[in-house]
Amino acid sequence: MLGTIGLSEEIFGEMKEAVIEGDAKRAEALAKKALEMNIDPVKSIEQGFAAGVREVGQRFECGEAFIPNLFMAGNAMKAGMGVLEKAIPAADSKQFTRGKIVIATVAGDIHDLGKTLVSTMLNSNGFEVNDLGVDAPVSKILDAARDKKADIIALSSLMTITLPGQRDVIDELKRRGVREQFRVLVGGGATSEKWAADIGADGYSPDAKGAVSKAMKLVEAPPH
Amino acid sequence: MVGIWEVLDRAINTGPVMSSTEFDTKVFETATKLAKEHDIKYDPASPLPSDDGILDRIFEAGLNLYTEVGTYCMSTERVIKFSEAEIKDGLRDVSSEIEIGDGLEKRKLFQRKTEDQRTPLYLGGLIESNPQEGEIFVKLYQSIAQEKIVDGFYFGPPHTIEGKLARFGSPLEAHAHRCACMWVREALRRAGRPGLHLLSASPSAAGEMSGCNPEDGVRKSDAITVAVTSELKTDYVLLMKVVHSLRYGCTRNAFWTPCIGGFAGGPESAVVVSIADALQAVMVYQIRMTGYVNPASTSIRVLANSARNQQWMRNSAIQALQKKTNLIVCGGSMTSAGPGTEQHLLECALSTIGVIASGGHIAHGIRKAKVVKRNQGSGLEVRFQAEVARAVAGLKRKDANDIETELLKRVETNLDPDKAPEGKGFEELYDLGSLTPKKEYLETYNSVKKELQEIGIPVQ
Repeated sequence: MLGTIGLSEEIFGEMKEAVIEGDAKRAEALAKKALEMNIDPVKSIEQGFAAGVREVGQRFECGEAFIPNLFMAGNAMKAGMGVLEKAIPAADSKQFTRGKIVIATVAGDIHDLGKTLVSTMLNSNGFEVNDLGVDAPVSKILDAARDKKADIIALSSLMTITLPGQRDVIDELKRRGVREQFRVLVGGGATSEKWAADIGADGYSPDAKGAVSKAMKLVEAPPH
Repeated sequence: MVGIWEVLDRAINTGPVMSSTEFDTKVFETATKLAKEHDIKYDPASPLPSDDGILDRIFEAGLNLYTEVGTYCMSTERVIKFSEAEIKDGLRDVSSEIEIGDGLEKRKLFQRKTEDQRTPLYLGGLIESNPQEGEIFVKLYQSIAQEKIVDGFYFGPPHTIEGKLARFGSPLEAHAHRCACMWVREALRRAGRPGLHLLSASPSAAGEMSGCNPEDGVRKSDAITVAVTSELKTDYVLLMKVVHSLRYGCTRNAFWTPCIGGFAGGPESAVVVSIADALQAVMVYQIRMTGYVNPASTSIRVLANSARNQQWMRNSAIQALQKKTNLIVCGGSMTSAGPGTEQHLLECALSTIGVIASGGHIAHGIRKAKVVKRNQGSGLEVRFQAEVARAVAGLKRKDANDIETELLKRVETNLDPDKAPEGKGFEELYDLGSLTPKKEYLETYNSVKKELQEIGIPVQ
């Protein structure tokens, strides 16, 4: 028994390391190995892959890691999770998703970076994120939110000239009569708390870390 | 020489296809590796570095990066690649001197060197100041044009036109930029300086195309701005601007903002990316026989480029480019605080000192990182920036670093754009009848100048 625990801890350490290094192939191989060794997949996720993501997140907070490190860590975790999730009963797997988020930079704006950072941080913190990329038309965002049964729609805009694209999404949600089904979170260089209030968004964050906290609060809050 | 048609062929037809994610990751990994291999180290004590030894290594790493990764065309998902021989050939064509402006306002824009004593040109102005359409637009830019110290300035379209929101790429936006060009020309006429050089900055290519007109729009003596999208990317909109400006015959101003903490990595790899961006400007945007460039910066933590690590990165890039190429290099200021405040002027001063001592001119001018009001800017901070630029020409980098460090101490704990003083709009800063700064703003301006004199900047 002690031997099995030792082996588990060894593989959890390797999983953590694979995520920190952003090595998706290694993460996938380790997940398969863990299943072959009958190691509890839930523990593999919690003590292996998620521990790696937490470590990269901490390094990011200290300025020792950058967006691409988070991004690659998220991808490595996703690769490992892809293998492990199949072995977890559906009821148990729900606990790994905090909520579903559709995220995009609004129409006319091709700035990718801030949105990708938020997307990566949300992903690393347990949200299921559907990233629609940049220059996303209103209908594409709303259709994806409906199809993915999103809890939150997150919208980025860097330029003041494209800012109204965020309001357009909220207006269209109202026009379609589905505003109460989604929480809307806005951010990006051109936005502010006041802008968020003016357009009737449910939340605003000036940075990625704040966006994660805000998203967590929004999914816990009662519906509109 | 790789001409524009060959560049477009690689972007549109023949370049290797790659996903954006794969390209981003490759840029990050390669730049990080090259920074380590070339022993490039960020020194927080020297936001304005003076180690010439590192400049060759920075340039070499940037050249290696660009040869390895190339430019990503987002419209086609193709990579535009160049061999090292092609890049070096392109660099040989770069002019170190061009003529800008017209008539009495014609200027020779030349490559400055580090610690250069020659007076820098001031091609400043306001960036993204959220200007309103109509007469107020004319007055805002007239307040800049009437400053004799200004050699040219940057402008973009208002966000509304005919009372309607001018969305990016729409016919309304093209019309907005066309009107902006006419209003800026009117501002120049009222200031008695019709030939002053303009940097036209329409977000869309359609705007630039509709704005070009020798009579009352962008002239051949003006420039069209073209961005390198972070990191090392372009698209059809930007390429259209290049093709249009080549055919029209005006010059180009290329700029880029490597993002520290993003896919450019830390300051050490971001400066490598900045050099590769310059090479994209030369090869893809054809900054060769004509053109000038603005290496800028941003970061995921501090949007404004007043942050210490951004200063080191941008100043190092300017120094490496003036040492290793013929490029005419310029810089501006992106501040956290808004116009009318002491912090805004201090942030302007610290960026300006870095650019000038590193071997640049001032172009683009000033931008509050997060514009929160309409018409957020005026001619007075433009005058201030130009005065500081002139005053510090010839300063030794070590002395300039001491001054910049002193200024950083005064602002760097308050660079969060949501917490820094938001500043005022043009109508609050100026008397619109006499077009002169209001008393309160003049007092702030004079008091900051006195503060600068006390720490060693001989600003008049």
